[in-house]
Amino acid sequence: MSKGYTLNELLIITCAKEIKDYENVILGVGLPTTAGALAKALYAPHATLMMESGIIDFEPLVPLNHIADAHSCRGFSCAVDLFSAFTMTYRGFVDVCFLGVGQIDKYGNLNTTCIGDYYRPSLRLPGSGGAADFISYSKRTVLTLRGGEFVEKLDYFTSPGYLDGGDSRDRSGLFPEGSGPTMLLTTKGVFRFDDKTKELYLSQIHPGVTVEDIQKDIPWELKVAPHLKHTEAPSKDEIDFVRHLAPTESLGRALTMELSIKANLKRAKD
Amino acid sequence: MGINNENKVMTAKEAVERFVNDGDELIIGNYTVGTCMELVFEICRQRKKGFTVYSQSGILDVDIMINAGCVDRLVTTYVMRSGGKKGGGALERALQAGTIEIEDYTNYNYNARLVAGMHGFSFMQVFEGIMVTDIFKKRSFLGDDKYRVITCPYTGKKVVTVPAANPDVCIVHVPRADKYGNAQYWGALGSVAAAALCSKRIIVSCEEIVEHDIIKSSPHLTIIPAFRVNAVVEVPWGAHPTEVLGYYNRDRSFYGMFIAANVTADGAKSWLDEWVFGCEDRKAYLDHYVERFGTGPLNKLRAKPLYSAPADYGAAFTSVWDNAGREQTLGLTLQEIETILKERGLLYE
Repeated sequence: MSKGYTLNELLIITCAKEIKDYENVILGVGLPTTAGALAKALYAPHATLMMESGIIDFEPLVPLNHIADAHSCRGFSCAVDLFSAFTMTYRGFVDVCFLGVGQIDKYGNLNTTCIGDYYRPSLRLPGSGGAADFISYSKRTVLTLRGGEFVEKLDYFTSPGYLDGGDSRDRSGLFPEGSGPTMLLTTKGVFRFDDKTKELYLSQIHPGVTVEDIQKDIPWELKVAPHLKHTEAPSKDEIDFVRHLAPTESLGRALTMELSIKANLKRAKD
Repeated sequence: MGINNENKVMTAKEAVERFVNDGDELIIGNYTVGTCMELVFEICRQRKKGFTVYSQSGILDVDIMINAGCVDRLVTTYVMRSGGKKGGGALERALQAGTIEIEDYTNYNYNARLVAGMHGFSFMQVFEGIMVTDIFKKRSFLGDDKYRVITCPYTGKKVVTVPAANPDVCIVHVPRADKYGNAQYWGALGSVAAAALCSKRIIVSCEEIVEHDIIKSSPHLTIIPAFRVNAVVEVPWGAHPTEVLGYYNRDRSFYGMFIAANVTADGAKSWLDEWVFGCEDRKAYLDHYVERFGTGPLNKLRAKPLYSAPADYGAAFTSVWDNAGREQTLGLTLQEIETILKERGLLYE
C-alpha cells in the first residue's frame, strides 16, 4: 500500500515529471513553481528554473506568492529585466514553460482575457501576462486547467496553440517549428496532442475518474488514447517533498483558507 | 532643467501636487512586487483624475485607482481578479459599466513600448506570433497604432511593431535612494527601470534615503540616475501590503482583506474610505493599522538580512601622486614639474 496523497499533490508531481534534466524552465506561480522545485530536487538537478520577472536560476524555499517573488528564495543566480527574459525565449533558450488555462479549444489555443464580449465582458480574466509570448516561443508548453473550461470557440484568442490544427501552426511561419503545447493537465486527467491532427486527446486518467466524467466537460467528441493509462501513484519521496515544501499546496486553496481563518481567530482570542 | 544634484526630498503630498496632473499618462513603475502604494494612495486622496494608466501587471494598485475614479484608460497585460467567478473587481465593474477603456498587450509587447520610449526610438519590434491572436486583432483607443506591421529592410520579412510609450509621469517605489534621486533597486527587475526611464517626470518613493556614498559604492544597483528624477519621498512601509526585498514580506492577510472587499463596489468603497481617504498619509495609515491589529503582524513581516556580497570597486591608487608627493610615472613633485615647464619656456605669463 502506497502512501496516501491528495489530488493537488498528484497534479504537482505529474507536472514535475514534464521537466527533464538540463532543461531551461519558465515557471508560473502556484502548482508549477512547486513542481519545478520538486523536479530540481528529485529528477532534474541541472535544470535552470526561471520566471518572467527576470529571476534566473532560483530555488524556491517557500511557496511563491507570484512570479516576482524573490522573498521565497535566498538569492538567485542572475537578475535580468522582463524584456530580456522574453527575448531569450524568442531566441530559443527556453525548453519548457507552464501556463494556466481559462478557456481552451481542441487545438490547445487559449483564452485568459475575458468571458463574453471583449469590450463589455461578463467576466474579465487577468489577461495575457506572459502567456501568449511564452507559448509562442518556448519549445514545449505544459498547460494546467483547474477552474477553466473546454470550449468549441474561444471568447477571445489570447495565446496560440495549434491554431486550426494539423500543420497550421508550423505553416504560419510565425513560430519555431515543432513548438506548441505538449500536455494539458486537469483535475481529472492528462491530455496530449495528436502528432498529425494536433487535436487534444485523453492520455491518462486520475484515480476515481471515468472517461464519461471527462467527456461531460468537453463539448466535442473526445478522442481517447488506444492504451489509456492511469496516472501513476506518486512515490513516498515525492509526496514528502511536496508536503514539506508547500503544505498549503497539498491542502488546496479552499482548505487552506478555512484553516487559516480558524488559526487567525484562535490567535486573536489568545 | 533644475533637476540635477539638488536635494529633491519632499512629502508624497507635495510630490503629487507638483508633478501629477489631471489627464496625465501615468505609469506605475513597479511590477507585481513592492509597488508604490503610498504614491497611489496620495493620488487618490488628492482626487486626481482622467489618467491613462500604464501598468505592466495590475495588482491592488490598479484596482484601487479605478475604484477611486482616477482612471479613464488603461494600458496593461494583466490585472489581478478579485473573487473567482463571483466578481472580478474594479476593472471588471468599470468595463461592464463602460467607464473605462482598456488596451491589452502581452508582457513583452507592453515592455517593448517602454524600451522604445526609454531609448528615444519611435517603435520597437515585437514577436510576430502575436498576429494570430485577438490581442493583435481587437483594438481599443489606440486603434491602428496599437500594432503596425512593416517590412524588415534587411530580411524582407514582415515585422510587427509597437509604438514607443513616453508617459507624462512615473510613480515608482524602490528600497533606497539618495536625496538627489539616484534610485536603487534589486530583486525581480521586471520592467521597473524602463517604466521610469521612458517617462517625462519621475517620482521616486523609497523605504529609506541613504548617503550618496552608499550609492557611489554600489552603482550597479542604481536603476534611475538623479538627473532624471523630480521628487524623492521617503516612506517606510511605503509598499505595504506588498513586499520589499530586505525590508518586509507581503502582508497576506491584509492583502486578502482588500481582495475580499473588492469583490463588490460597496466593499471596495468602505475599504478605500477606511484605508485611503481615512488616513492623511502613510504614518496615519500605519497608526491605524496598529490600532486595528496591534504591532504583532507588522513585526512578523520584517525581513531578516541576507546581504549581497559587496562588489569591490577598489583600485591600486586614486591619485597620480604617491605618498612622497611624486607623480607616479615621472617620479617628480609638482614643483619640479613646474620648474621644468618654466625652464622650457612652455608657460605663458
